[in-house]
Amino acid sequence: MILESKEATKKYGSKTAVDHVSLKLESGLVYAMLGPNGSGKTTWMKMTAGLVKPTSGEILYQNQPIGKESKKEIAYMSTEPYFYNWMTVADVGNYYADFFEDFSMEKYQQMITRMELTEDMKAKKLSSGMMAKLKIAVTMARKAKIYLLDEPLNGIDLLARDEIMKSILEAVDPDVTLVVSSHLVDELERVADAALFMKDGHLVEQCMVEELRISRHKSVVDLYREIYGHGGEAVC
Amino acid sequence: MLKLMKYEFRKTAFSKLILLSITLLSEIVYLLGIFLKKDVFLSSGIMFLVLCATMGILYIGLESVTVLHRDLNTKQSYMLFLTPKSSYQILGAKILENGISILITGAFFAALAAIDAAAAYFYVGGLKEVWNMVNDVLYVSMHISVDPVSIAFAFFTLLASWISYIVSADFAVILSASVLAGKKASGVVSFVIFIILSTLLGMGLDKVPALESRELTFALYIAVSLAVSVILYLISGWIMEKKLSV
Repeated sequence: MILESKEATKKYGSKTAVDHVSLKLESGLVYAMLGPNGSGKTTWMKMTAGLVKPTSGEILYQNQPIGKESKKEIAYMSTEPYFYNWMTVADVGNYYADFFEDFSMEKYQQMITRMELTEDMKAKKLSSGMMAKLKIAVTMARKAKIYLLDEPLNGIDLLARDEIMKSILEAVDPDVTLVVSSHLVDELERVADAALFMKDGHLVEQCMVEELRISRHKSVVDLYREIYGHGGEAVC
Repeated sequence: MLKLMKYEFRKTAFSKLILLSITLLSEIVYLLGIFLKKDVFLSSGIMFLVLCATMGILYIGLESVTVLHRDLNTKQSYMLFLTPKSSYQILGAKILENGISILITGAFFAALAAIDAAAAYFYVGGLKEVWNMVNDVLYVSMHISVDPVSIAFAFFTLLASWISYIVSADFAVILSASVLAGKKASGVVSFVIFIILSTLLGMGLDKVPALESRELTFALYIAVSLAVSVILYLISGWIMEKKLSV
């Protein structure tokens, strides 16, 4: 086990974004984090990335609380653009190279070339699809132990999605953990080893994808429909 | 820490470049006034240079507060808080970069004033008489004798005190984004906290005793201002470390 979320809860005023979420992540697996908007996926990822402090409970990375040390080994890609307005594609790479020891400039340059970005492009002028590619390139150019990708396929057209997913999977070593959130359940089902279902801030379901297919003859899409289509909670 | 400071400088580099450009233009006007002996240019140059110095130093401090506000309240905050740096390092880099910028800008304008005064003395003359007259008036009416060392001390006392006000404003911004986040009127409450802190700071500085040596009194002022800045920095860093979610 590389990461453990123990009763992690985040409240914003009277609204509970994440409610007592407990889960364990293993090394070398790809996790699909699923759920509609407002289900708590992003907040949980932000807590794991160290951007958001839990109201109660805790998240442990290699048995240590999330903090300065865990940030060296956990790479997070936000769904929103977050680069400084003055930055070019080259500046974004230089910034990451300045702060992350695991960042490979060579890998970054390979990825931006593959994604048809050029170093002189201004980050703030990129289309949403190009911005998504830049975020993926800079995140995956790190040699992290855990990658948290929040809606990485947002804004990317149908034809480019396969290429992006391929780039993501190729960029990670076999022993790393990948957590990917997306609304595109069928896209994720093809690559995920395990699925985490979030609803109203709760983790309502977690299961291994292969096990689900064999023992229950269900796909992740089926289970997704079961959980969110009828408002109930499924049992693996 | 140096890398964080490098990027803090980069965020405000454009406005500093503008300040430098306006200062350069004002300096040209001033020097034209001296070399061409044109009073209009001379007085305009002096006025603009004084404005650049005072407004520039004020603006550099205020801009750092707005940058901190943006860094805590927009998605750009991820750029800082995803890095493996503690809140103390992130805030420390901001305060240090800003403090150094204010001091360097102050020193730059002080040096420029000295050079300009020397230029005026050599090319126009009569400046020494004016200087002596000002000194005499101050000594007779207020028993103050003006000398360059005292002026330098007074100037850096003002800068140190300005830095402590900026750190107080930073503290209020951090409170608003952390402990008060999501609460009604958090902006107003944090502004009130800033006003209270500033008033207390002003009252505290007024209590600094006047020592026999004017330089020592100024040094004590600077020490108190910097001590207040350090205390507020430590409290702010602790709040960010424990309570801040971006």
